[in-house]
Amino acid sequence: MAVQPEVEKKGLWRSFTEGADDIFTRITAGISAGEFRRMLRGEPPGRPNPRLKPHSEAFLLHIKPTYYHESVTRFTHTFRLGILSTYLFFFETITGIFLMIWYTPSPNQAYTDMIALLSNVPYGQFMRDLHRLGAEMMVAIVTLHMVRTYLTGSYKPPRQFTWFTGVILLVVTLFLSFSGYLLPWDQLAFWAVTIGTSMPEAVPPKIVGETVNLLARGAPDIGANGLLRFYLLHVLFLPLILFLFFFVHYYKVVHFGISLPASEEEVGQDTANKVPASRRVYFLPDVLIDETAVMIAFTTLLILLVTFFFSAPLESIANPQSTPLHTVAPWYFYWLQGMLKIADKTFAGVILPGVLLVLLMAIPYLDPNPSRRVRDRRIAIISGVVAGVVMIILSWMGTPKYAAQAAPPVEVVQEMMPEEGAGIVREIGYEEIPNGVYDTRNNLPAMYPEEEYPGLHEILVEFEGHIDYWDKKDSDFNEAYGILTVVQEQPNLKRLDWEIHWIDAEGAEGSFQRSFWLHKDSLYWEEYGLKDFGYLMPTEEEQ
Amino acid sequence: MRKPWYSIFYIKSPITKIGLGTLAVLAGIALVLFLMATENKRMEAQAASWDGRSIEKGASLFMANCSTCHGLDGKGLPAVAPALNSRYFFSQRIDDVGFSGTLKQYVGGTIHSGRPSKVSTQWVNIMPTWSNQVGGPLREDQIDHLVDFVLNWEEEAMAQTPEEDPWQFFQDALSKQLPYSPDEPGYDEKVQQAIAAAEAAGAVGYEIGGMAVEAPTEGEAGAPAEVRAPEDLFNSLGCVGCHNINADQTDDNKGPIAPNLGNLADHAGSRVEGEDAETYVHQSIVDPGAFVVPGYPNGVMPQNFADQMSEEEIQGLVKWLLSH
Repeated sequence: MAVQPEVEKKGLWRSFTEGADDIFTRITAGISAGEFRRMLRGEPPGRPNPRLKPHSEAFLLHIKPTYYHESVTRFTHTFRLGILSTYLFFFETITGIFLMIWYTPSPNQAYTDMIALLSNVPYGQFMRDLHRLGAEMMVAIVTLHMVRTYLTGSYKPPRQFTWFTGVILLVVTLFLSFSGYLLPWDQLAFWAVTIGTSMPEAVPPKIVGETVNLLARGAPDIGANGLLRFYLLHVLFLPLILFLFFFVHYYKVVHFGISLPASEEEVGQDTANKVPASRRVYFLPDVLIDETAVMIAFTTLLILLVTFFFSAPLESIANPQSTPLHTVAPWYFYWLQGMLKIADKTFAGVILPGVLLVLLMAIPYLDPNPSRRVRDRRIAIISGVVAGVVMIILSWMGTPKYAAQAAPPVEVVQEMMPEEGAGIVREIGYEEIPNGVYDTRNNLPAMYPEEEYPGLHEILVEFEGHIDYWDKKDSDFNEAYGILTVVQEQPNLKRLDWEIHWIDAEGAEGSFQRSFWLHKDSLYWEEYGLKDFGYLMPTEEEQ
Repeated sequence: MRKPWYSIFYIKSPITKIGLGTLAVLAGIALVLFLMATENKRMEAQAASWDGRSIEKGASLFMANCSTCHGLDGKGLPAVAPALNSRYFFSQRIDDVGFSGTLKQYVGGTIHSGRPSKVSTQWVNIMPTWSNQVGGPLREDQIDHLVDFVLNWEEEAMAQTPEEDPWQFFQDALSKQLPYSPDEPGYDEKVQQAIAAAEAAGAVGYEIGGMAVEAPTEGEAGAPAEVRAPEDLFNSLGCVGCHNINADQTDDNKGPIAPNLGNLADHAGSRVEGEDAETYVHQSIVDPGAFVVPGYPNGVMPQNFADQMSEEEIQGLVKWLLSH
């Protein structure tokens, strides 16, 4: 465009403002600056509605509906769980790419890379914690999204297939989270995944199970090949599947519209797509602002949690020769671990989950009740609640608290200083544990009062408490006492010898001894809980 | 219609939402800035933490695998294995052997591939290979932990005076200069000890601390003035490194290097025909090759115990072993 004749015709100022408006309209895919201002002021659109243009102009907006029914935009109808699930997928992709920069999927390198990431990369721990928390959140939010859909009966016709793809997305989310579990190549990862992949081994007939297992692990046991396979599943294959099914799922959501609250329509009706003009809420600007604000607030929540309350665990490097005591699956598979404790692997690990999955997918096709109102759906709601309670009980049974206990002295020491992870003693730490011999037959808590020895006092109370608990509980563990000996082994290294003596049911004496070391600088942390910012305190030399 | 309690979540105003969103962005930025300000300290703490954890794991491995020969405190056992928690080791060892890398690499390499040598050495056992790459039981990361643990003795070892240094003379690398200044207390004794050890080892023609090592002087080791207790002898002469006094020698539980001595009294009398228990044990100490328990190689046990103890001490040790 020739600039000069334009300016001569309209004058300098007008050509400038018109040019600027033109650029603005191009960027917003059809919204002029004036219209944008009216949007922000909350003024209604003109007719014909100029705010619909971006939906046909812009690729990213063409998949969004132009308006929603007012009743489905209320926060408590959807809790924004769908958009958050989608957002978390992209959130995980971005944080995951940052982690990939410092990661090599090889057993010799992966764990070293994790330590380098934590101790040598600015924001390295932050990214890892965000990725891990995001993954756990994604499992939780996708599940809640499904629970919400179930409780409002939104899976009913015509949305059966939307539900079906949703279940697939749930399964893919679980697999994504689980496949990422192995990548740090620590004991937690290795053994959780060893247990997890041993389940397909139980698929009958034997030859099928073994082949599936071999395909997943790349060898009879997890090793270099298994890690590479899980890595590729995690960063490439499963995201691809998720991406594909997400679009099928979302197309169906837009196609049928978000189901209205049951009270808005007659039983058996579906009026989600027949929104009266008076109840329309347009995507631009209201829903866009709402969704953006929710995503931003959620991101800030994740950052807040990661800054103060959440740390992704990293245990010792994977050791195929030693299974740590109380190996557990990630929390979202506790229920499966619980079932495995009460039934055999083929039934509880393969057949039952398979049947449950098929049932879950088939719910919309099996439920004959046309009504979505809670009053008419007593059976469905009650069975849903019962299923939820059963899941919680099974999950509790999946934790080490249920039927996986070792001998009492082993459990006592495990409570104080677990083989892997932190435990109370390591969290209290080197500085607060003076060298000495602490015998629980003496009145230790009184000898080491809380005011003077806060950390040691807590440790000794716990030590006595655990011994007493097992003394009362186990008839083979009587008159038990413990001796903790703390020795300075090197100038900055203490050895803690845990010794437990008891008398068994037949009157014979037994004893157990276990040593652990504690270094001055080693920090241990729990996955959930307030982070320790002790390292921000000035050190003794600086003071 | 009365509004339900949860209607507080129904924010209609776009301006309120934009305001809340902006606040959230600012809060997020504040948190990220907080992290930025503390990030260097966090990384330092993390690096120190992982080093610390490595030392903790190394300590556990050392106790399980190394302490039987090198001692629980790393100060070595006489004639069994050299001291690691030693000033000489930290300040001079790699120069003596002419190793061009760092001490860390030296320790790592030694643990990794041991000291594979058929040449007879002054030590009871040769250092085995530990890495599973060369037939040992440990993985590379475990060796790294061990190295970290051994090197963590540096502070303690470098504070040792010559008297405290548990250094034992090495035949393979003759120290021409001791790692102490002549002003330090105990320097002269250490030089004398080193020379005596070098002479006993048959090393001639070297200088230690500026003094020449002469031909071995027979019998000059000198009988100790007082009789040492059997238990001390058992520990200080290194028997403890190979013989487990607290375990019985049975078919299911044989000592890995040498027979366990827990139940020595039960079968000492029946090992060699015509020898009672005391004669047998005495002979086994002064002349280990006379009878070797089946299943163990000859020539492992040092032949020079008769020179290191008085007859009275040997008698005491025999009694103590049989009554233990």
